[in-house]
Amino acid sequence: MTQGNPISLYQEPDLHQSSLVLGWREDAGDLGRRVTDYLNLKLEGQEFAEIEPEDFFPMGGVAIKDNVARFPESKFYACPEHELVILQTDSPLVEWCKFLNSVLDVAEHHCRVRELYVLGAMISFGAHTSPRQLLAVVNSAEMKNGLSQYDLNRDMDYQTQPGERPTLNSFLLWLARERNIPGVSVWVPIPFYLAATEDPQAQRRILSFLNERLGLRIDFGDLDQEIRKQNEQLARARSRFPQIDDYINRLESNLMLSEEENGELVKKIEDFLREGD
Amino acid sequence: MGIRLYQEPQLENPILVASWPGIGNIGIIAVDTLRQILEAEEFGEIEPWEFFYPKKVLIRKGVLEYLEFPTSKFYFKRIRGRDVIFFVGQEQPTERGGMYAEGRKAYRMADLVLDVAEKFGCHRIYTSGAAVALIHHTTKPRVWAVPNGQSLISEMKAYQNTVLMSDIEGRGGHGNITGLNGLLLGVAKKRGFEAICLMGEIPVYLRGLPLSYPKASKSVLEVLSHSLKVEVNLDTLDELDRRVEQRIEEFYQQIPLEIRGQLDRLKHRAYAQPAEPGPITEEEGKKIVEDVEKFFNKRGESG
Repeated sequence: MTQGNPISLYQEPDLHQSSLVLGWREDAGDLGRRVTDYLNLKLEGQEFAEIEPEDFFPMGGVAIKDNVARFPESKFYACPEHELVILQTDSPLVEWCKFLNSVLDVAEHHCRVRELYVLGAMISFGAHTSPRQLLAVVNSAEMKNGLSQYDLNRDMDYQTQPGERPTLNSFLLWLARERNIPGVSVWVPIPFYLAATEDPQAQRRILSFLNERLGLRIDFGDLDQEIRKQNEQLARARSRFPQIDDYINRLESNLMLSEEENGELVKKIEDFLREGD
Repeated sequence: MGIRLYQEPQLENPILVASWPGIGNIGIIAVDTLRQILEAEEFGEIEPWEFFYPKKVLIRKGVLEYLEFPTSKFYFKRIRGRDVIFFVGQEQPTERGGMYAEGRKAYRMADLVLDVAEKFGCHRIYTSGAAVALIHHTTKPRVWAVPNGQSLISEMKAYQNTVLMSDIEGRGGHGNITGLNGLLLGVAKKRGFEAICLMGEIPVYLRGLPLSYPKASKSVLEVLSHSLKVEVNLDTLDELDRRVEQRIEEFYQQIPLEIRGQLDRLKHRAYAQPAEPGPITEEEGKKIVEDVEKFFNKRGESG
């Protein structure tokens, strides 16, 4: 039982001026989980804390995914050599403010975090062959200036549309600003027909930015290999199914597909990638 | 986190009138209209972060400029020695996306509203909401009044166009008030405040529509202004009522003739005096509700 404090700290991490990278599990293209898993693997992140789930998720059973029961998790990993903290977490379903403040409590009081990087995947109606322009939303002018040397779109204008609500990324950035922690939400477009599977190219795009920004010196050879493999699979799907090729050709020409065509493309690509060729 | 007061006005013998959104937004429209007519002055708020998910973000040139949350604001008006504090909550703090608050957050919010009432020496609380009733939309809605103590009943019997739960057919004086408009009444009782909830009637067949029902707000406001001894011009509510009534009529004409025929009988329904049964019996009333619910369930299923 958490009895008011939902943070379980297993050991005090040896961090003095760190950066926090947060990835949401269950993101489009599984982006948040895959990017944080990749960072943990490459940088040998050590779990040191978690946020207990009982205040933030309905404890009415478990979900099953890919034949396996899964349970909400919010785990922190430390990479002291790189002054990096990685948080991989499910999105809370209730008590959002308390949850996000718990994240910032760990960041501020146990990791001395100086900057926050929140990852986000956005569904794109473009083709997988289109360039993936990263989009940055920051919580301070200082952070915006600090990102000027990177290949990011830093000038987006946006206002919540009727019937929509802001993202957790915005909520977290806003709370971080209250604590004077500069932060950026980095968004990468995921083609809609890869949203339910994976998109290594999107992962690479975000990881390259983090690698450069945080000086991580990661070798992406294995991920590049995955990208090549997926691109080859998609090319084979196009040559084997003229309908798929037609749809993707139209997306490459910036033409919209009908709802029915979108659905058909999603199904065919997902089946093809899952079953192999 | 909690209450933020911008100023601490000196108030004389104040009462507090509170409301949150609910069915037909009857209560909140009544309370907020009165607040606007009296030009009450904002003096504080309940900080939102603990209770609400943000409702709007503005990002300009890549910088997050602001995040907007549902507001929960306090206003005051001095009225000849019987001052009024208004509380208007833009949303109920729900846990799982429902319409009504419940649980720990609801209780906490009710407590914070009453903290302000206590600080300024309020002796009475009014809340307001909706009463789903077997009435027709062309008839004048009554106001159901529920106090949190026996001592208030005789006073309410003198209110115009107002009934107690025991006056409602088939209820035997029982019922419940969902969400914060009801919960505040209970928490007020626990903390020693006298409190009354005024609920405007809304026709049973309109309860699920995403429309306000200003006709009932007007009934509530008539009772409330009488109780507060203030005269208010209700032209704005009449105008709003005319616009909404037009949309209700359009919807009404889509109801199958057979059901509409039954609903039309509600136009002539006499409000119950136990010795003088109206033209619709209790059994017939139940049948109408069943038929209406079947119709709406079917509509829901077919999208």
